[in-house]
Amino acid sequence: MSSPLTRALLLALLAALIAWPVGHFFGAWVGWMLFSLSLAGQMLLHFRYFALLDRWSKAPVLDATLEGEGAWDGVFGRLYRHEKELQRLIAQREQEVAMLIAAGQALTDGVILLDEHNHILFCNTTAEQQLGLVARTDRGQPIINLVRQPEFVAYLEGHDFARPLTLRTERHEGTVLSIHVIPYSGSRRLMQVKDMTQSDRLDRMRRDFVANVSHELRTPLTVLAGFLETLQEIDPAADERHRYLDLMAEQSKRMQLIVQDLLTLSSIESAPPPENQPVDMVNLLDKLRRDAQALSAGRHTIIVESDGQGDLCGSASDLASAFGNLVANAVRYTPAGGSIRIVWQATPEGAEFAVHDSGIGIDAKHIPRLTERFYRVDRGRSRDVGGTGLGLAIVKHSLNRHQAQLEITSKPGAGSCFVARFPASRVVGL
Amino acid sequence: MNEKSHLSSQFDDELGRLRSHVLQMGGLVETQISAAIDAYSKGEVASVKHIVETDRKVNDLEIAIDDDCAHLIAKRQPAASDLRLVFGISKIVTDLERAGDEAKKIAKGVRRIYEAGQMPSQYGIGIRHIAEAALVMLRQALDAFARLDAALAVKVIQADVDVDTEFKSIMRQLITHMMEDPRTITTSIDIIWIARAVERIGDHAKNVAEHVVFIVEGRDIRHLPKENKESKE
Repeated sequence: MSSPLTRALLLALLAALIAWPVGHFFGAWVGWMLFSLSLAGQMLLHFRYFALLDRWSKAPVLDATLEGEGAWDGVFGRLYRHEKELQRLIAQREQEVAMLIAAGQALTDGVILLDEHNHILFCNTTAEQQLGLVARTDRGQPIINLVRQPEFVAYLEGHDFARPLTLRTERHEGTVLSIHVIPYSGSRRLMQVKDMTQSDRLDRMRRDFVANVSHELRTPLTVLAGFLETLQEIDPAADERHRYLDLMAEQSKRMQLIVQDLLTLSSIESAPPPENQPVDMVNLLDKLRRDAQALSAGRHTIIVESDGQGDLCGSASDLASAFGNLVANAVRYTPAGGSIRIVWQATPEGAEFAVHDSGIGIDAKHIPRLTERFYRVDRGRSRDVGGTGLGLAIVKHSLNRHQAQLEITSKPGAGSCFVARFPASRVVGL
Repeated sequence: MNEKSHLSSQFDDELGRLRSHVLQMGGLVETQISAAIDAYSKGEVASVKHIVETDRKVNDLEIAIDDDCAHLIAKRQPAASDLRLVFGISKIVTDLERAGDEAKKIAKGVRRIYEAGQMPSQYGIGIRHIAEAALVMLRQALDAFARLDAALAVKVIQADVDVDTEFKSIMRQLITHMMEDPRTITTSIDIIWIARAVERIGDHAKNVAEHVVFIVEGRDIRHLPKENKESKE
């Protein structure tokens, strides 16, 4: 096809060729009129396509109806192809960005991107939960407006990111976060937020355990050593000596109990899985009731409820000691006049053994830590009633070995409920 | 964020910085209160000194921010929503500073009780509970300010009723306590001061929330009956 300019000139020449003979026969002005009319017509046609292009350029979209003829056809065609290619590129880039964002969202650590003024550019859902952010509305907001803890602000403004910051967030009670800022591409920053609550808890448990064992053993040992020293230095009267010896025997028995419980605990932990003998629940419940009555000495009402269905499968001695422990705890921590209800019943998932009491109850913050070794809600009280601080830890371990879950619910002042839930695989005769 | 774009982006920066300073001050007060709650329930008397020291920082910030507000008004003559923002900030810092003072009072009360050889936490767990509720109110009020979220601010205002109700029930409980055993009166009075301070923190949080509604919607909802406080949206 010829260039637009030659085409226009050719058309003009054609008009002139027609107009010239016409002018010759009908007069010059008719010829000129015909010539200029044909030129004007050509111009109008161009102007129409120009108007189309003008309108399109104000809101460029992919529009197949944009069609022209002659020179315009080529222009419109190329524009169409260009626009189409652009849209394909945009779609491709969008997909890539969406994939990157999805990858950021999938991270189990919190990730936040900050610009040079610490404004939030991006944050994933984990970070939203950890720091109480809302990605949709908080983009562009300085992060220190929302995470306002002074130590965090100081860390972010201190520009020393060699070590991560450990932050106890106040939005979720007891959550410990480790925040690491990594500068990238000039002055931008990537903030990585790890939830350290679990490992922090384990650390604390380990520290507490060593401290607690030493403390629990040292207390009776101090008493023993004190009396021994006294006996070495003075020679007390016979009855006095008797009293000393009694106290010493009592303390050494305490130490023995603690060591025994510790050994039980470690043997449960390392022992092979419990044998699979059926345990007669009717007998066991009866024994639990008698033991509870003996321990209570008539101070509590003790009720045993059983739907008479199903026996457990496992180690009889382990289960008896775990259940006995729960019942004994209920008796110990329920003031005189209270009631204790022992329930054995089938459930849709298997069966459950529950001990309800109307005792002093446990504050919610202690419940998650109750089964930790030596964890005590109230040190003095628990030692008064003769606990070693290991009872519930042993219960939890023996139940775990029977695939049972220990669930504790309690209301301070109203009573507690300890439930051991057994799966169907541990129950026979349902 | 400011929806209008200012001719001078420097002005925008100044407003943004001012807001951040207020929220930093809020962050200090939040830690003060949560440290005071810890001192009360866990007996961390050592942190009392720290709380008192933080209060000095809070006071300095209040003066500095107020000064910035005055400068901004004089230099830029803000209008409409910007003026409301600056005015609101100037009121919010007053309430924050007072909430910090209340945290200091709690801390000192706790120290007094411990020095008298008592355990404050044995006097009802209710206080810890409303203290946490009041802290959540303040946190949400500050979040509402950061996000200029009037709906959240209205929620904070409504939550104040719960704190007030619980405060009254704690008072009743303490009165019974004192009547039963007059020896507990000294400690009980200290506890009442603490409960009172907690209740005031809730009030200040509510005030902050009211200022936020004023900043966002231009309505002054202080002293209005409850049903008129609802957000327009």
